[in-house]
Amino acid sequence: MDINPKLIEEIVSQVLLKINNSPKEEKADAVSHSQDMILTEVGPAKKGTNPKEVVIGIGAAFSKKMHYTIKRIPHSVVLREVIAGIEEEGCVARVVRITRTTDVGFITNYAAKLAGSGIGIGIQSKGTTVISHKDLDPLTNLELFPLAPLITPDRYRAIGRNAAKYAKGESPIPVEVLLDQTVLPIYQPVAVLLHNRETSDVVIGGPHLEIEYKFAK
Amino acid sequence: MLLVAGVDIGNSTTEAAIAKIDGPKLEFIASGIDKTTGIKGTKKNIRGIINALEKALDNSPYQLKDLSIVLLNEATPVIGDIAMETITETIITESTIIGHNPSTPGGVGFGTGKTIAFKDFINYLGNESLIPLVNDSYDFADVAAVVNRKVDQGIKVAGLIVQNNDGVLINNRLKNTIPIVDEVKFIDKVPVGMPAAVEVAESGKTIETLSNPFGIATVFNLDPEETKMVVPISRALIGNRSAVVIKTPEGDVQARRIPAGKLQIFGQRHKAEVDIEDGADEIMQSTEKVRPIIDVRGEPGTNVGGMLERVRAVMSNLTDQPIETMAIQDILGVDTFVPKAVTGGVAGESALESAVGLAAMVKTNQLPIKQIAEELEKIINVKVEIEGVEANMAILGALTTPGSAKPLAIVDIGGGSTDAALITARDEIYYTHLAGAGDMVTMLIKAELGLDSLILAEDIKCHPLAKVESLFHIRMEDGSVKFFKEPLEPRVFSRVVVLNGDKMEPIETEHSMERIRTVRREAKRKVFVTNTIRALKRIAPHDNIRLLDFVTIVGGSALDFEVPEMITEALAGYKIVAGRANIRGIMGPRNAVATGLVISYYNNLKNRSN
Repeated sequence: MDINPKLIEEIVSQVLLKINNSPKEEKADAVSHSQDMILTEVGPAKKGTNPKEVVIGIGAAFSKKMHYTIKRIPHSVVLREVIAGIEEEGCVARVVRITRTTDVGFITNYAAKLAGSGIGIGIQSKGTTVISHKDLDPLTNLELFPLAPLITPDRYRAIGRNAAKYAKGESPIPVEVLLDQTVLPIYQPVAVLLHNRETSDVVIGGPHLEIEYKFAK
Repeated sequence: MLLVAGVDIGNSTTEAAIAKIDGPKLEFIASGIDKTTGIKGTKKNIRGIINALEKALDNSPYQLKDLSIVLLNEATPVIGDIAMETITETIITESTIIGHNPSTPGGVGFGTGKTIAFKDFINYLGNESLIPLVNDSYDFADVAAVVNRKVDQGIKVAGLIVQNNDGVLINNRLKNTIPIVDEVKFIDKVPVGMPAAVEVAESGKTIETLSNPFGIATVFNLDPEETKMVVPISRALIGNRSAVVIKTPEGDVQARRIPAGKLQIFGQRHKAEVDIEDGADEIMQSTEKVRPIIDVRGEPGTNVGGMLERVRAVMSNLTDQPIETMAIQDILGVDTFVPKAVTGGVAGESALESAVGLAAMVKTNQLPIKQIAEELEKIINVKVEIEGVEANMAILGALTTPGSAKPLAIVDIGGGSTDAALITARDEIYYTHLAGAGDMVTMLIKAELGLDSLILAEDIKCHPLAKVESLFHIRMEDGSVKFFKEPLEPRVFSRVVVLNGDKMEPIETEHSMERIRTVRREAKRKVFVTNTIRALKRIAPHDNIRLLDFVTIVGGSALDFEVPEMITEALAGYKIVAGRANIRGIMGPRNAVATGLVISYYNNLKNRSN
């Protein structure tokens, strides 16, 4: 397939136009519902002291304006699987919404700095995920899962498990990263849209918000 | 004035020593080392020889054309090869899940009951004690909810066997703690409706009931005959944190020995036949009994037969000589353990099976060193001569070690073979070549740790380990801590790493640093120490090591960070002064043969002029 950057640009601008013209949503509530999950923002996030705590940083629009990853996996499933992976290893998961950026490297870095264990997981609303440590530069990481369309629920579980293992000082074998070059042309335009969508919710210099999570089961 | 260069072509490195001979004065001026190009003893070595010479000359005011003569050694025509065979096999016929030790089982305790599929359990109303089998189609929260409801209804749930890694998750949602074994990969193979026992120990402890044959007998009401049958089961469960045992009418675990074939060892006067499955000790005893060995054959059509045939084929290829003339002159057998998947296992479990590693050494006819000499002479336009036999040269070189004296024995542990030589007070020289050296250690490390890469195994062999505990500090294998100012690379975080100078290479396995270290040291002990003693026995007067006084260790493996100490320690028991050589007082264990070549040439000159 021949990908013409101009064509992509055109599609993006047209879709954006449609989005902008659509009736404005009401200002998002501090409580975001989905069928299986309730996330409640309970104020600014503090730095944790519990050594078995792993912090999951979620994007500005996660389960708020957006509810699915690029592969249509519900955010409730993503978050539940990551938390389950952490819990299975005997660690504790804390969720924080990072509102000042959509760069997944920085989301993860902020999350890691808030974590008692120093291990953070960053999840963009489109599904891209990173595991990192508080002492690492924001653009480096312990494990990076760049192609969001290839991340499945059981991989999200494995990501949580590995993050918990790092927190415990173990040496987990890194979660397999699938690479498939055909993903890029197929999903690139959608990824741009989804990223833009989330970025439009960014609050410059915004706070990191502590999130209470509750799942239907 | 003569400018003389000695060149030693080794299996992996080519070394050069350059000296000035001015009348009665011998003065070494430079040394060089480079990689051996091609296989030792072939014309491809010439490139490496020239490189080594040039490297040496770089440190001197002279050039290649200033050399008066280049001396080569007659390389020992021995080449070794290695192979490994598993000799035991664990077979389960549906009675237990052994060798399966999930890292995070759920709950704690011990329970017995009848196995039941989870879909039948949901509607079960009887009063038997149950152990439901949960396959991966159920969510952990649903499972916990169903179990809680059933327990409220008065159903007895003794434990759970789960396919997913959900043990802790389910347990965290249960009202009552029960033992849960998870990560059972092929749960569909677990028989349904059979009495079973599930045991999970607290974190940091190991199971007590199922690892005891009488414990199993108590649980399942076994008679003494049946109790004998469960011994392999309990044995396999020792040290686990969790276990499942299921009683089936014909269930059984067997630790079977694989018929690996017989070795026939032909000595000059005697002949011995030994079963590979008898293990390494038996093989080595037979070898000692019949030596000197003329040839070793494996029983045709068996694993060991094929293995030795392969060794012969590789050697004949390498040396370009017919396969019939390839006679195996020595073998070294080493017992080892290899992780292997258990036949019939339901959890994808593995067991450590016994295996025997064999190194074999083939003595060939002369290597074509003459052709190399002629070719080299044409290329560099300097006279090239073959000065002497490797062992003699190495001794002459080793004698330049300060503090050494005749009688002196040297041990040279290379990649393929272990060589030893002895010079007596009356200048008689004895030497021997034995199978098994560095390559075999690499093979053992790779097999025992279940590594994919030979390069990684080699790295583990050569360098000490450390565990990266944070991005700013590592813990060395001796327990000390080293701090860093700059953060380390993220790829080494939380891993066991090989410390190669300043570089860190992560080892991506789940083995602990202690385990890797033990495997490494054991492999070295089994090969290097065993072979050093074996070799010294062969060259010592009356086979008695105690009659040796000085032993120097030369060659590349003498540079290993722990082998010389291991050997020194082992030989201290025989009251021998043993240690790393220090050629010419400056070269360490390197350059012995190259130095020896020059000294030999100088001695001959002196004798002639006298």
